[in-house]
Amino acid sequence: MRKTLRSRRAIPYLLMAPGLLWLLLFFVVPNLQMLLFSLSEGTLRTGFTTPPQVWDWQNFTGGIDQFSNNFRNSIVYGGLATILCFLIGYPLAYSIAFKGGRWKSLLLFMVIAPFFTSFLIRTISWKIILGNDGPLLALVRDVLHVVPANFSILGTPLAVVGGLTYQFLPFMVLPLYISIDKVDRRLIEAAQDLYAGPWRRGGAIVGGIAGALLLIALQLGLGYTSATGEDATITGILVGMVIGAVVGGVIGGYLVSQSFIRVTFPLSLPGVFAASILTFIPAIGDYVNAQLLGSPTTQMVGNVIQGRFLAQNDYPIAAALAFILMAGILLSIALYARLLGTDELTGGTA
Amino acid sequence: MNDLDSLIRSTPLTRRVFIQGTTLAGVAGFLAACGAGSSPKPSTDEISGPLNFANWPAYIDLTEDESSSPTLTDFKAKYGIEVNYKEDIEANEDFYATLAPLLGAGLDSGWDLIVLTDYMAARVIRAGWIEEINAANTPTAHANVRDELKGLSWDPDMKMHFPWQSGATGVGYNVKSTGRDLTKVEDLFDPAFKGKVTMLTGYPDTFSLVGLMLKAKGDITHLPADMTYEDAQKVHDYIKPYVDSGHIRKFTGNEYLQDFGSGDTWAAMVWSGDLASSGGEDDRFDFPEEGAVIWTDNMLIPKGAKHKGAAEAMIDFVYDVKNAARLAAWIYYISPVKGVADEIAKTDPDLAANELLFPSAATAKNMFPQPALEDADDIKWADLASNLEGA
Repeated sequence: MRKTLRSRRAIPYLLMAPGLLWLLLFFVVPNLQMLLFSLSEGTLRTGFTTPPQVWDWQNFTGGIDQFSNNFRNSIVYGGLATILCFLIGYPLAYSIAFKGGRWKSLLLFMVIAPFFTSFLIRTISWKIILGNDGPLLALVRDVLHVVPANFSILGTPLAVVGGLTYQFLPFMVLPLYISIDKVDRRLIEAAQDLYAGPWRRGGAIVGGIAGALLLIALQLGLGYTSATGEDATITGILVGMVIGAVVGGVIGGYLVSQSFIRVTFPLSLPGVFAASILTFIPAIGDYVNAQLLGSPTTQMVGNVIQGRFLAQNDYPIAAALAFILMAGILLSIALYARLLGTDELTGGTA
Repeated sequence: MNDLDSLIRSTPLTRRVFIQGTTLAGVAGFLAACGAGSSPKPSTDEISGPLNFANWPAYIDLTEDESSSPTLTDFKAKYGIEVNYKEDIEANEDFYATLAPLLGAGLDSGWDLIVLTDYMAARVIRAGWIEEINAANTPTAHANVRDELKGLSWDPDMKMHFPWQSGATGVGYNVKSTGRDLTKVEDLFDPAFKGKVTMLTGYPDTFSLVGLMLKAKGDITHLPADMTYEDAQKVHDYIKPYVDSGHIRKFTGNEYLQDFGSGDTWAAMVWSGDLASSGGEDDRFDFPEEGAVIWTDNMLIPKGAKHKGAAEAMIDFVYDVKNAARLAAWIYYISPVKGVADEIAKTDPDLAANELLFPSAATAKNMFPQPALEDADDIKWADLASNLEGA
């Protein structure tokens, strides 16, 4: 009796053993090695001095100092891409879930379809689309003549943020779709029965503020208007702000209903949480878009880590930067989870 | 920084070696630090294939339809072995970085023959990562190598290396896009080309060429080979604002060829023969007025190469005057082989007068070698370059 009980207790651990072993071998051990590297000195060429001979915390402080631009780029571009993905992805997921009807599966398939092509091929395609001889510049430069002859999109933050937004959109749409699709339609009918109607004034105000903020963030983040320095132009920011406010206000006032804001949106929050994390984490650590579509000034911290590991073979700095990035991501997720409630992390209890 | 392209292309490693390599790559540093690591298997003189040959893009002759290379086809026919020829080297530093973890840990790099520029060849030889070339297997090469290429300090007796080609670094441009001929390094900084200019990764080319420009302006006094760290700092400070303003879009390796093709680059620092052999009809190369940079790329056999005999056969093969002439005529670089000029003059007198293949005395006088730095200085200069490159 006692024997069977004991063996029964062991069963969960036995079932977990392969997974735990895998984690130990391929996560814990490499991370410990990385930690050692991050406190070492030297490069592959000069040789390494490792703990316990040295404990070089300078890699961490110096790393942040030396590559602060790259960290800033990562946060700004990753953040903007996540916001843009949300703004594009939410209406898309909502339409598929609510209006998709019998086309649902096909529409979802179309969202995922790009994944059947290699990530690199898709990024290189953007290089062609945005390039000097690409269709976009052919239109705005050669047909409309709104930009000068040496105008480029490649090599600007816009190209990098655009690339990131494109790459990670499916990561945003799928979790959103699942949580929106789960919303009980009867709750919406009930809300409408209880006089939930259009959300004109509230929608216009919220939409207007959100639109204005977004346009300011885009202009500053993409570097099209500098807020400081000699060529600071407040007019550019103001014009953008007004355009954003008007567009946001119209969308908010005419397209958003009270039942959406009181029922559907709150119920889809677990999806919003999961989707934004799934988008933000790969976007902030990405280096391919910045490398292929960007310029020296748009390099993200992922590029530095890649370069230090693979080009300079400077493992200590690379490992330290990787740890800083990991810690930063964990910290921001913890904050985010605290804001939205930890329940949402597991999809809510409902 | 531009090793993504070389990552996309896979190196011809066997699966077993690859797994060894990747698991050991991480600890390679520790092993190297301790001076441990198994010594690679000794190679033999036997000529067996396939010959794993890593070279730079636009560096081999091609047939009319560009589907194969006459040089490689003839080599295969002569020795009856396959050649696994890969254009995997886009920049010295990036390729070095792929070799270092393997060769540093005493593993086979997967390559039998590689091609690196002087300063990098000297560095890998100093590191002890290169096999000695058996003189008995390379009699043609010893007989035909041009005298001025002999007696280099890092390998005076040609025991470890043979030059593949020499060339110059200068200014390349698409004359349709720029709308004018460029004649100076300074033309790269013309505001009309903003966002359409690229330079080369690392310091050896970019810092030498801009250094020559600053010397012509009187800002520094040394030639590239004698430049001090202060001079390099001046070069860095001159370029930096152009990077920040977006004037210089990128620092590239050999992939500038694609960027010229797509029109994204109008003017760039390029290597002399590439645009002539592989560029468009409007792409031009110019030996700039301030001076050009001259260098030699060298064939080397990495330690532990599995097909050393085949690599030596290839070295000897490309030193045959006829083979060398055919190669140089297609790739537009300066051949290291004696008698190539006469050979080419027999069939194509125009080509024999081409400055790219046979620089005139005046051009040659205005070409200067790159700095050859010891490790400590090299790291400091590389930091300046990586600061410009943004990562």
